[in-house]
Amino acid sequence: MTAQKEWKPVFTAAVVLLVVGIFCYAAFSAPSPERPVRLMYQVAAGNVLFDHNTHAAPSGYALACRDCHHNLEEGETEGVVSCSECHPNESEDNDIPKRSDAFHQQCIGCHEQFGAGPGEGPEGCSICHVR
Amino acid sequence: MTEAKKLIVSHAPFWHDGSSIAQRSYSTMLAAVPALLLGFSQYGMPAVGVAAIAVSTAVLWELAMNRIMRRPETIGDGNAALIGLVFAMLLPATTPWWAVVVGTFTAVVIGKQIFGGTGASPFNPPALALAILTVSWANLFDFNQALLTYDPGFPMVYPLFAAKKFGASAVESITTLDLLLGRQSGGIGATFGIGLLAGGAFLMVRGIVRWEISLSFLAGVFITALAFHMADATRFAGPLFHLCTGYTLIGAFFLAPDDSSSPVNFYPMLIYGAAGGIMTVLIRNIGVYVDGVILAILVINLINPLLDKIRPKAIGKVA
Repeated sequence: MTAQKEWKPVFTAAVVLLVVGIFCYAAFSAPSPERPVRLMYQVAAGNVLFDHNTHAAPSGYALACRDCHHNLEEGETEGVVSCSECHPNESEDNDIPKRSDAFHQQCIGCHEQFGAGPGEGPEGCSICHVR
Repeated sequence: MTEAKKLIVSHAPFWHDGSSIAQRSYSTMLAAVPALLLGFSQYGMPAVGVAAIAVSTAVLWELAMNRIMRRPETIGDGNAALIGLVFAMLLPATTPWWAVVVGTFTAVVIGKQIFGGTGASPFNPPALALAILTVSWANLFDFNQALLTYDPGFPMVYPLFAAKKFGASAVESITTLDLLLGRQSGGIGATFGIGLLAGGAFLMVRGIVRWEISLSFLAGVFITALAFHMADATRFAGPLFHLCTGYTLIGAFFLAPDDSSSPVNFYPMLIYGAAGGIMTVLIRNIGVYVDGVILAILVINLINPLLDKIRPKAIGKVA
């Protein structure tokens, strides 16, 4: 049997695979865990890939939810809101810093506290911001 | 042997060695199975969906082009399915369906059919398609961005990204064994080093892939990465890291040795493979892109016709 005569079974297999593919796309999606695994902050200074798991997991830095999500009460784990829900891109309100300032205060403050601060200057920026 | 004897060709009947395009295509697909299976187990049904859509649409694009150009149906030779499968192996498991469909269109129609079909494509179709799609939608093919929600139990930062942006120390904790076992972020079928090596060995033993190309490609990567590492070990990761990350192994066994876009003579094959390996590490270490395999392969595809002019000889032998 030549390749030309074999086209019909291959066509049938392709149609079956198409159906399988459509089913997979319709029925399954990438995991959407309740607690983020990693987050990518896309900013002009360079994207920041934040490993939420490493910061929150007991085998990682074991931070409590409240250590970053400061809307929570002591020991509370439910009711976490994402940072951008309170901290807008731009803010004139002194009590609620804009998102980039909030992140910088939070991240740099904690890193410096544990001696893992990014340091001054462009080299410090590039520890988190990657172009 | 005199010069005149080199031009003597024996008369018919000729003896066909039994090989066929279909046999080559399906053998190559078989060689890809171990690497794909690990990808399916790590990324689940979304990865199966990507592979299924890629293979099926590649075949359907080829059939459509056969009909439009009023040519005989060529989907039976498995080449279109192979293009779809290899293309899927390069993709993140979260690639949207439309990007897969556009990718297989680019690979089969632009990369192969408009040049005349099987045996006529000047570039490796899956590599060409991925390059065009990456330029068009870079975010879709950024593995850090695409695989944010996966937590398979090992670090999921794309190793080549970490090495390029943060230096060799950022990947010190990743062992070669981890990389060989597929414990790294990457394309659906591009991370399982042992599976790709086994598939590559199978293809080389069967003569489907020319060992000269694959091994010289890997040697090019190894030697160039070693030179960079010896020059500045804090900035550049070691050669084994470069061999086992990104698209190196899939490039060596499934992309670079593509029949129609690679040389056929011994020295040209060695130069072709080595140039690809060297170019890969140059792009990775001092170029703009995180991985250089795809662009390096397109560049060596481009110089392939020139390489085959080096010490040419007639193919075949007199019994």
